[in-house]
Amino acid sequence: MVKAIDNRWWLAAAVAGFAALPWGLGIYHQHVLIVSLFYVMMTASWNLLAGYTGQVSFGHAAFAGIGAYASGILATKVGLNPWLGVGAGTLAAAVFGFLLGVLCLKMGGIYLSLTTLGFSEILHIIINNEYEITRGTMGLQVPGLIAEYSKLAYFYIFLAGAIITLAVVHRLIHANIGLNFRAVQNDERAAAALGVDVVRVRVLAFTVSSALAGMAGALYGHYLLLITPQIPSLDQQFLVLSMTVIGGLGSFAGPVIGAFGLEILSEYIRAYGEYHVLAFGLVALIVARFAPRGLVGVWKQFMDRRRPAA
Amino acid sequence: MALLEGRRLSKRFGGVQALTEVDFAVEAGAIVGLIGPNGAGKTTLFNIVAGALPPGEGQVVFDGWPITGKPAFRICRRGIARTFQVTRPFGEMTCLENVAVAIVNRRPDLGRAAWGPMAMEYLEAVGLGALAETAAKHLNVIQKKRLEIARALATEPKLLMLDEVLGGLNTQEIQEAVGFIRDLRDTRGLTVFWIEHVMGAIMQAAEKVIVLDQGRVLMVGTPKAVVADERVISAYLGT
Amino acid sequence: MLALSLTNGLVIGIVYALTALGVSLVVGIMNVVNFAHGEFYILAGYFSYLFAHTLGIHPLAAMVIAVGLVFLLGLVVEYTLIRPTYGDDMYSLILTFILSIVFQSLFLLVFGPYPNKPPSWIKGATEVFGLFHYGNQRLAALAAGVVVIALFFAMLKLTWFGRMIRAAAQDREMAELNGINTTRLNLLSFGLGCALAAAAGVILAPVFPVTPTAGTPVALTAFVCVVLGGMGSMSGCVLGGLVLGVVENLGAAYVSTGYKHVFMFLILILVLLFRPAGLFGRREV
Repeated sequence: MVKAIDNRWWLAAAVAGFAALPWGLGIYHQHVLIVSLFYVMMTASWNLLAGYTGQVSFGHAAFAGIGAYASGILATKVGLNPWLGVGAGTLAAAVFGFLLGVLCLKMGGIYLSLTTLGFSEILHIIINNEYEITRGTMGLQVPGLIAEYSKLAYFYIFLAGAIITLAVVHRLIHANIGLNFRAVQNDERAAAALGVDVVRVRVLAFTVSSALAGMAGALYGHYLLLITPQIPSLDQQFLVLSMTVIGGLGSFAGPVIGAFGLEILSEYIRAYGEYHVLAFGLVALIVARFAPRGLVGVWKQFMDRRRPAA
Repeated sequence: MALLEGRRLSKRFGGVQALTEVDFAVEAGAIVGLIGPNGAGKTTLFNIVAGALPPGEGQVVFDGWPITGKPAFRICRRGIARTFQVTRPFGEMTCLENVAVAIVNRRPDLGRAAWGPMAMEYLEAVGLGALAETAAKHLNVIQKKRLEIARALATEPKLLMLDEVLGGLNTQEIQEAVGFIRDLRDTRGLTVFWIEHVMGAIMQAAEKVIVLDQGRVLMVGTPKAVVADERVISAYLGT
Repeated sequence: MLALSLTNGLVIGIVYALTALGVSLVVGIMNVVNFAHGEFYILAGYFSYLFAHTLGIHPLAAMVIAVGLVFLLGLVVEYTLIRPTYGDDMYSLILTFILSIVFQSLFLLVFGPYPNKPPSWIKGATEVFGLFHYGNQRLAALAAGVVVIALFFAMLKLTWFGRMIRAAAQDREMAELNGINTTRLNLLSFGLGCALAAAAGVILAPVFPVTPTAGTPVALTAFVCVVLGGMGSMSGCVLGGLVLGVVENLGAAYVSTGYKHVFMFLILILVLLFRPAGLFGRREV
């Protein structure tokens, strides 16, 4: 019990320290932090699905796109308040996630991967074809979340978004449903024999994960003020996947570490432009092959090995 | 009265007829053995009853309900628990969490504080109390079989289906295990449907034995009648 | 218009079928879906462009070399990346997806973003059934696709290797018990799967030039064919390919060109809703 309280204080101190960080930074570095926080929302929610239930969605960026475009279109065509738009975007992503999940999850995990990849391609085609509404590759100009544009304010909005996302993930994996998630990932036949409704558990995880991606995307759109097909692109999906895999799939801290690490790194190697996707790809490939639990896994292994010696 | 009844069950895998028009009944409160040579279709029968395999033809009725072709989790919630011959633990989860999965799907309202002690009781009942916080993948084969039983019991079944739980035990351990299973029936009122290769155990524990051979019911009778039967002996000797 | 669309659908459909056969083979035997399948198709297209156009080798020889190289690369990928993940479906999905992105960025660096097209085998056009003029190259592609598919099925039916494949696709454990070396079988099947994608790539590249990111829709189409035909069913996915090719071209002709690929997704949804095991799929045992 004492230890739990200790942990809480550490966490509060860490968040407070992090919240004070942008005051000492310039606009560019504030921007990097905001983008990192966007990726924390994306990776943590993707990890909820892939890391804790063992299903790989290739449509996570697409769901962020659903959130961004839903909110953006409502704001530009109907004049909806962007904050309500973020809610609508989250809801839209949840609905699409639920429908896709019901459609393919009774057939098993591989079907989810195939269908989400297809969904992501189709979304691209629709965005490019419905130029009148989405402005295609030119991008859709949308209003901001706050009247006076301020990086600092956006930083706190994104920090709140990331904390909400992490809190939802934390709550789920530590509740009874989290036991079911892991049981399904470990052995779905055994889980079913013990009374776990495997399809329902998977659909639930997929819906929540997609909804969180929708929220992240909607916030991101209103930060960039320009929504382009880059948000729901496969490159974006790849980045989210690589961050999670490199940080540590199936661990709570892994996606956070991966999101910050890779986003900050990618700012440093931006100068090398075209090589940067390739470099991330190769690193992710090597990590996924030799350290499937990512940096967090390597760290845990290292600590385990040290403990008996100490 | 029969708690579980199968009527004319048949199942094909590709070109192999695994079960042919099998009729059987498991009476409430009884320990019923299911025996037969390798490949007789025993595990296939279990899989169909438990909803792990879609049935070919025929019907399964449990406690008055037709459960043919229902999904496994619904059959479990109706009151049938089974163990797997090749154990299927949730390897990355602790033994306690393994058992907890069974508890929380029956009682979703329970939090960790409530299911923790309950899961511990089931683990202690099968002698795994000391390993509660160990990841299930680190257990040995015999411990994994015990974990299977603890998980199955934690679903609070009416019918417990055991698939070869005695493999690898020595004579004295087999005696203890038989005592444990009879005790489950006597104190918890469980019905037991039991596939076992260790004939001595079935002879001691079961009131009734069903013999399968090449996917058909060869005979049904008391253990004594079964071991004395010519057809059973020749099926086992493979002549 | 109708006849032309049908013929277009047939040509594309045969190539879809060829690509899908590779996916189906690998799914049936290894239970692995290779998300980099489309990139092997594109790579073969680039190879044949490189050998025939840049190095001036005869187009036919260039095609054979291209397919051979992709086959070898497939073996390397299986050995280094796929084999260690065996039994963990999720990791093979993740690894092949990352691999596909790595390939795409390599293509972009080496060949640039613009379409590349290997030389045509033959020129001119033929009048088909007195209805319309049709490019000879496309007719040749159709013929080549039919020949490769026929060869593949002959291999399945007639050779020892084919028998092993069919046995393993039916029941893996049984095959193992009967002494089939499944490790080597996995290796060869994966290589062969990549080679089938490569064959499709070299056949279609003179008609539809390759670009760095064109592999994703190729792979997706193949996946839909496989789901349509029933996971793991070889003949099912050939039919699936033809159906898809025809529907897509009819849709493009009569409904909307921009939404050509969306029809495919609609088919996928319909199949998942009403015949989740596929139109011609064997039922799960």
